[in-house]
Amino acid sequence: MNETSYLVPVYGAYAVVTVSLTVWLARTLFKNGAVFLEDVFKDAPKMADAVNRLLVVGFYLLNLGYAAMIMKAEHGDTVIQAVEVLAWKLGALLLSLGGMHFANLYMFYRIRRRARLAHMPPPVLPQMHAPAYGAYNGHAAAYTPGA
Amino acid sequence: MRELTVLYDASCALCVRCRDWMGQQRSLVPMRFVPCASDEARARYASVPWLGEELVVASDEGDVWAGPAALLVCLWALEEWREWSYTLTGSALTPLVERFFHAVSSRRRSIGAFLWPDPCEGGTCKVPAAHRPRAAYR
Repeated sequence: MNETSYLVPVYGAYAVVTVSLTVWLARTLFKNGAVFLEDVFKDAPKMADAVNRLLVVGFYLLNLGYAAMIMKAEHGDTVIQAVEVLAWKLGALLLSLGGMHFANLYMFYRIRRRARLAHMPPPVLPQMHAPAYGAYNGHAAAYTPGA
Repeated sequence: MRELTVLYDASCALCVRCRDWMGQQRSLVPMRFVPCASDEARARYASVPWLGEELVVASDEGDVWAGPAALLVCLWALEEWREWSYTLTGSALTPLVERFFHAVSSRRRSIGAFLWPDPCEGGTCKVPAAHRPRAAYR
């Protein structure tokens, strides 16, 4: 066997594992992310679906792009080296997938938190209760931006 | 709550700039800015003891906040800052917010005059125009 021939099975295994892992993760994200997004976009279910799909497309692009970039291996002279190279690459890939996955979860959390915040009361209790006297009559001193 | 009335000091350049900044943010509750020395403020909020001394915020339901609490309610009304308003309340940061607010509020005229010096009292000559449009919504 010549020096670099071990690289071919390494690349083959790498490609198979990469694609199947990415697909599995993206599907998991899609299924479970839908629950979060449906809660946020209660009044617009189509919106939830669209946001979910767009997020998953971004996830695919980033992961597959990164996986393709780190594919190139320098050494594959012996079986042991080939296994080590494969392990190193899969490790790097899994770590990046994990990072991406948590980034995605954080995004879902932020989107949901934002939607919940919009309905929360002021953080501090009022110091007094003083019903304003008279209706606002468009006094010139008032300043309403954009009005 | 359908509306917040912010009673600010229109004779202080710093306050007017803060008002402009707030007016350009996206808000979750419509905000009206009324100078605390105006006839409307004096007529409608005569029972509020802090009027003219401190920043005062009043809701259309009659709830009134003053001082640091009014600042927090202003932040709460702004979409980008609502999360911060909760972070700054009920945490170790709260005393810092209060001290910061009192430090700035009690020196607001001298700060305004120092940052934007002009011959008018309190630096009101160079006060920016009050009709800048609100940033487009989304």
